Amino acid sequence: MTQSTAKQWSTEKLLLAVGIAAIAAGAAVGVSVGYAVHYEAPTTRAFYLFNNSLPFDQHTWGIPHDTFSPDRITVNKGDKVVIYYRNIEDTTEAHTFTMDAPYTFDAVVHAGQNESFPIASTLHSASNVVVQVNQTATITFTATWAGVFRFYCAYHQPTMTGYLVVLG
Amino acid sequence: MLRWSAVGLLFVVGLIDIYYGNFYAGFFENLWYMMGSIYIFTGAVIASNFEPRFAQPAVFGYAIFLFVLWATTAIGTGAGLDTVAYVDKAIEALLVVNMALLVRNSRRPSLLP
Repeated sequence: MTQSTAKQWSTEKLLLAVGIAAIAAGAAVGVSVGYAVHYEAPTTRAFYLFNNSLPFDQHTWGIPHDTFSPDRITVNKGDKVVIYYRNIEDTTEAHTFTMDAPYTFDAVVHAGQNESFPIASTLHSASNVVVQVNQTATITFTATWAGVFRFYCAYHQPTMTGYLVVLG
Repeated sequence: MLRWSAVGLLFVVGLIDIYYGNFYAGFFENLWYMMGSIYIFTGAVIASNFEPRFAQPAVFGYAIFLFVLWATTAIGTGAGLDTVAYVDKAIEALLVVNMALLVRNSRRPSLLP
Protein backbone atom coordinates (compact mmCIF):
# COMPACT_ATOMS: atom_id res chain seq x y z
CA MET A 1 0.00 0.00 0.00
CA THR A 2 1.48 3.36 -0.98
CA GLN A 3 1.48 6.27 1.41
CA SER A 4 -1.04 8.16 -0.74
CA THR A 5 -3.43 5.19 -0.62
CA ALA A 6 -2.98 4.91 3.14
CA LYS A 7 -3.83 8.58 3.54
CA GLN A 8 -7.09 8.06 1.71
CA TRP A 9 -8.26 5.57 4.34
CA SER A 10 -9.94 7.00 7.38
CA THR A 11 -8.58 5.83 10.73
CA GLU A 12 -11.79 3.96 11.49
CA LYS A 13 -11.67 2.13 8.15
CA LEU A 14 -8.03 1.24 8.68
CA LEU A 15 -8.66 -0.12 12.18
CA LEU A 16 -11.71 -2.01 10.96
CA ALA A 17 -9.80 -3.57 8.07
CA VAL A 18 -6.83 -4.53 10.23
CA GLY A 19 -9.16 -5.85 12.94
CA ILE A 20 -11.19 -8.01 10.56
CA ALA A 21 -8.06 -9.36 8.88
CA ALA A 22 -6.52 -10.17 12.27
CA ILE A 23 -9.67 -11.86 13.56
CA ALA A 24 -9.98 -13.94 10.38
CA ALA A 25 -6.32 -14.95 10.46
CA GLY A 26 -6.37 -15.70 14.19
CA ALA A 27 -9.52 -17.78 13.94
CA ALA A 28 -8.21 -19.70 10.92
CA VAL A 29 -4.93 -20.58 12.64
CA GLY A 30 -6.62 -21.32 15.97
CA VAL A 31 -9.22 -23.63 14.46
CA SER A 32 -6.48 -25.40 12.49
CA VAL A 33 -4.48 -25.92 15.68
CA GLY A 34 -7.63 -27.23 17.37
CA TYR A 35 -8.01 -29.84 14.64
CA ALA A 36 -4.33 -30.75 14.50
CA VAL A 37 -3.45 -30.94 18.17
CA HIS A 38 -4.88 -33.18 20.82
CA TYR A 39 -4.06 -31.58 24.11
CA GLU A 40 -4.78 -32.67 27.64
CA ALA A 41 -4.36 -30.22 30.48
CA PRO A 42 -1.87 -31.37 33.13
CA THR A 43 -3.55 -33.57 35.69
CA THR A 44 -2.73 -35.92 38.56
CA ARG A 45 -2.14 -39.49 37.45
CA ALA A 46 -1.99 -42.31 39.98
CA PHE A 47 -0.34 -45.68 39.44
CA TYR A 48 -0.08 -48.80 41.58
CA LEU A 49 3.35 -50.37 41.26
CA PHE A 50 4.33 -53.82 42.54
CA ASN A 51 7.37 -56.02 42.55
CA ASN A 52 6.93 -59.27 40.65
CA SER A 53 8.87 -62.52 40.50
CA LEU A 54 9.18 -64.50 37.30
CA PRO A 55 9.06 -68.31 37.69
CA PHE A 56 12.71 -69.23 37.11
CA ASP A 57 15.67 -70.05 39.30
CA GLN A 58 17.74 -66.89 39.44
CA HIS A 59 20.86 -68.80 40.52
CA THR A 60 20.68 -71.09 37.51
CA TRP A 61 20.08 -68.24 35.08
CA GLY A 62 22.46 -65.81 36.77
CA ILE A 63 20.07 -62.83 36.82
CA PRO A 64 17.45 -61.76 39.36
CA HIS A 65 13.93 -62.95 38.70
CA ASP A 66 12.45 -59.70 40.06
CA THR A 67 10.63 -57.24 37.82
CA PHE A 68 8.30 -54.28 38.19
CA SER A 69 4.63 -54.64 37.42
CA PRO A 70 3.83 -52.55 35.47
CA ASP A 71 7.19 -51.60 33.97
CA ARG A 72 5.92 -48.68 31.86
CA ILE A 73 4.40 -45.50 33.24
CA THR A 74 3.15 -43.10 30.58
CA VAL A 75 2.12 -39.53 31.39
CA ASN A 76 1.92 -36.16 29.70
CA LYS A 77 4.50 -33.48 30.35
CA GLY A 78 3.31 -31.33 33.25
CA ASP A 79 1.29 -34.08 34.93
CA LYS A 80 1.63 -34.73 38.64
CA VAL A 81 2.53 -38.39 39.08
CA VAL A 82 1.60 -40.39 42.18
CA ILE A 83 2.97 -43.93 42.46
CA TYR A 84 1.73 -46.26 45.18
CA TYR A 85 4.59 -48.75 45.37
CA ARG A 86 3.94 -51.93 47.34
CA ASN A 87 6.54 -54.49 48.27
CA ILE A 88 4.51 -57.70 48.12
CA GLU A 89 7.46 -60.09 48.56
CA ASP A 90 6.80 -63.38 50.33
CA THR A 91 10.44 -63.40 51.48
CA THR A 92 12.30 -60.73 53.50
CA GLU A 93 13.64 -59.08 50.38
CA ALA A 94 13.69 -55.28 50.22
CA HIS A 95 13.38 -53.32 46.97
CA THR A 96 14.13 -49.77 45.99
CA PHE A 97 12.49 -47.31 43.68
CA THR A 98 15.31 -45.36 42.13
CA MET A 99 15.17 -42.78 39.35
CA ASP A 100 17.84 -41.44 37.05
CA ALA A 101 18.52 -37.70 36.80
CA PRO A 102 17.01 -35.22 36.15
CA TYR A 103 14.05 -36.64 38.05
CA THR A 104 13.76 -36.67 41.82
CA PHE A 105 10.70 -37.34 43.94
CA ASP A 106 9.11 -37.01 47.33
CA ALA A 107 8.29 -40.24 49.10
CA VAL A 108 6.37 -41.28 52.17
CA VAL A 109 6.98 -44.84 53.34
CA HIS A 110 4.21 -46.45 55.37
CA ALA A 111 4.93 -49.38 57.69
CA GLY A 112 2.18 -51.56 56.29
CA GLN A 113 0.27 -52.71 53.24
CA ASN A 114 -1.47 -49.41 52.55
CA GLU A 115 -1.42 -45.68 53.31
CA SER A 116 -3.44 -46.00 56.52
CA PHE A 117 -0.43 -47.48 58.34
CA PRO A 118 1.95 -45.21 60.32
CA ILE A 119 4.64 -43.32 58.44
CA ALA A 120 8.03 -45.04 58.66
CA SER A 121 10.03 -42.39 56.81
CA THR A 122 9.66 -39.32 54.62
CA LEU A 123 11.98 -38.21 51.83
CA HIS A 124 12.15 -34.95 49.85
CA SER A 125 13.78 -34.49 46.44
CA ALA A 126 15.19 -38.00 46.68
CA SER A 127 16.33 -40.25 43.86
CA ASN A 128 16.12 -43.47 45.86
CA VAL A 129 13.73 -44.96 48.39
CA VAL A 130 14.02 -48.38 50.06
CA VAL A 131 10.80 -50.28 50.62
CA GLN A 132 10.91 -53.25 52.98
CA VAL A 133 8.61 -56.26 52.78
CA ASN A 134 4.98 -55.37 53.48
CA GLN A 135 5.70 -51.67 53.26
CA THR A 136 4.09 -49.13 50.94
CA ALA A 137 5.76 -46.06 49.51
CA THR A 138 3.79 -43.14 48.10
CA ILE A 139 6.03 -41.48 45.53
CA THR A 140 5.12 -38.11 44.01
CA PHE A 141 6.75 -35.87 41.43
CA THR A 142 5.87 -33.63 38.50
CA ALA A 143 6.69 -34.82 34.99
CA THR A 144 8.59 -31.68 34.07
CA TRP A 145 10.81 -33.11 31.33
CA ALA A 146 9.62 -34.98 28.26
CA GLY A 147 11.37 -38.16 27.25
CA VAL A 148 11.93 -41.74 28.41
CA PHE A 149 13.46 -42.10 31.89
CA ARG A 150 14.58 -45.20 33.71
CA PHE A 151 13.34 -46.22 37.14
CA TYR A 152 14.74 -49.32 38.79
CA CYS A 153 15.44 -51.34 41.89
CA ALA A 154 19.05 -50.78 42.85
CA TYR A 155 19.24 -54.30 44.38
CA HIS A 156 17.92 -56.28 41.41
CA GLN A 157 19.62 -55.17 38.26
CA PRO A 158 19.29 -55.49 35.35
CA THR A 159 15.87 -57.13 35.38
CA MET A 160 13.95 -54.94 37.81
CA THR A 161 13.82 -51.90 35.55
CA GLY A 162 10.95 -49.80 34.27
CA TYR A 163 10.57 -46.71 32.17
CA LEU A 164 8.72 -43.48 32.74
CA VAL A 165 7.49 -42.19 29.38
CA VAL A 166 6.70 -38.48 29.43
CA LEU A 167 4.93 -37.29 26.30
CA GLY A 168 6.01 -33.74 25.44
CA MET B 1 1.00 9.19 26.96
CA LEU B 2 -0.84 6.57 24.89
CA ARG B 3 2.42 5.54 23.25
CA TRP B 4 4.16 4.93 26.57
CA SER B 5 1.23 3.05 28.06
CA ALA B 6 1.26 0.87 24.92
CA VAL B 7 4.99 0.28 25.36
CA GLY B 8 4.39 -0.70 29.00
CA LEU B 9 1.59 -3.10 28.08
CA LEU B 10 3.66 -4.60 25.26
CA PHE B 11 6.56 -5.31 27.61
CA VAL B 12 4.31 -6.72 30.33
CA VAL B 13 2.38 -9.00 27.99
CA GLY B 14 5.65 -10.06 26.32
CA LEU B 15 7.22 -11.02 29.63
CA ILE B 16 4.08 -12.89 30.72
CA ASP B 17 4.11 -14.85 27.45
CA ILE B 18 7.72 -15.89 28.03
CA TYR B 19 6.99 -16.73 31.67
CA TYR B 20 4.00 -18.78 30.58
CA GLY B 21 6.06 -20.70 28.02
CA ASN B 22 8.65 -21.46 30.67
CA PHE B 23 6.51 -22.41 33.66
CA TYR B 24 3.32 -23.73 32.12
CA ALA B 25 5.16 -26.03 29.77
CA GLY B 26 3.41 -28.84 28.01
CA PHE B 27 1.91 -27.15 25.05
CA PHE B 28 3.79 -25.25 22.36
CA GLU B 29 6.08 -23.47 24.81
CA ASN B 30 8.31 -22.35 21.92
CA LEU B 31 5.35 -20.56 20.38
CA TRP B 32 4.82 -18.64 23.62
CA TYR B 33 8.50 -17.67 23.67
CA MET B 34 8.19 -16.39 20.09
CA MET B 35 4.98 -14.44 20.76
CA GLY B 36 6.53 -12.84 23.86
CA SER B 37 9.73 -11.94 22.04
CA ILE B 38 7.78 -10.33 19.21
CA TYR B 39 5.79 -8.29 21.75
CA ILE B 40 8.97 -7.04 23.40
CA PHE B 41 10.48 -6.21 19.99
CA THR B 42 7.35 -4.32 18.94
CA GLY B 43 7.45 -2.52 22.30
CA ALA B 44 10.88 -1.21 21.34
CA VAL B 45 9.61 -0.25 17.86
CA ILE B 46 6.65 1.67 19.29
CA ALA B 47 8.91 3.34 21.88
CA SER B 48 11.29 4.52 19.15
CA ASN B 49 8.32 5.76 17.09
CA PHE B 50 9.74 4.04 14.02
CA GLU B 51 7.34 4.18 11.06
CA PRO B 52 4.31 4.76 13.29
CA ARG B 53 1.83 4.81 10.39
CA PHE B 54 2.72 1.20 9.68
CA ALA B 55 3.95 -0.07 13.06
CA GLN B 56 0.99 1.02 15.17
CA PRO B 57 -1.76 -0.60 13.06
CA ALA B 58 0.47 -3.69 12.70
CA VAL B 59 0.78 -4.06 16.49
CA PHE B 60 -2.97 -3.46 16.83
CA GLY B 61 -3.59 -6.29 14.33
CA TYR B 62 -0.99 -8.56 15.94
CA ALA B 63 -2.64 -8.21 19.37
CA ILE B 64 -6.09 -9.01 17.93
CA PHE B 65 -4.62 -11.92 15.97
CA LEU B 66 -3.06 -13.47 19.09
CA PHE B 67 -6.17 -12.90 21.19
CA VAL B 68 -8.41 -14.64 18.65
CA LEU B 69 -5.79 -17.36 18.11
CA TRP B 70 -5.73 -18.07 21.85
CA ALA B 71 -9.54 -18.04 22.12
CA THR B 72 -10.10 -20.45 19.24
CA THR B 73 -7.23 -22.74 20.28
CA ALA B 74 -8.48 -22.80 23.87
CA ILE B 75 -11.99 -23.69 22.77
CA GLY B 76 -10.70 -26.38 20.42
CA THR B 77 -8.11 -28.01 22.67
CA GLY B 78 -8.63 -26.91 26.27
CA ALA B 79 -5.12 -25.44 26.33
CA GLY B 80 -4.40 -22.08 27.94
CA LEU B 81 -7.46 -22.00 30.18
CA ASP B 82 -5.79 -20.93 33.40
CA THR B 83 -5.30 -17.82 35.50
CA VAL B 84 -1.99 -16.72 33.99
CA ALA B 85 -3.41 -16.97 30.47
CA TYR B 86 -6.54 -15.06 31.51
CA VAL B 87 -4.42 -12.25 32.99
CA ASP B 88 -2.23 -12.25 29.88
CA LYS B 89 -5.23 -11.99 27.59
CA ALA B 90 -6.93 -9.31 29.70
CA ILE B 91 -3.79 -7.19 29.33
CA GLU B 92 -3.78 -8.00 25.63
CA ALA B 93 -7.38 -6.74 25.35
CA LEU B 94 -6.31 -3.51 27.07
CA LEU B 95 -3.45 -3.30 24.61
CA VAL B 96 -5.86 -3.57 21.65
CA VAL B 97 -7.90 -0.64 22.99
CA ASN B 98 -4.72 1.32 23.75
CA MET B 99 -3.37 0.72 20.25
CA ALA B 100 -6.69 1.73 18.62
CA LEU B 101 -6.62 5.03 20.52
CA LEU B 102 -2.96 5.52 19.70
CA VAL B 103 -3.54 4.92 15.98
CA ARG B 104 -6.43 7.39 16.04
CA ASN B 105 -4.35 10.02 17.86
CA SER B 106 -1.34 9.55 15.62
CA ARG B 107 -3.37 9.97 12.42
CA ARG B 108 -5.31 13.00 13.65
CA PRO B 109 -4.29 16.06 11.60
CA SER B 110 -1.91 18.28 13.53
CA LEU B 111 -3.38 21.58 14.71
CA LEU B 112 0.05 23.18 14.66
CA PRO B 113 0.79 25.41 11.66
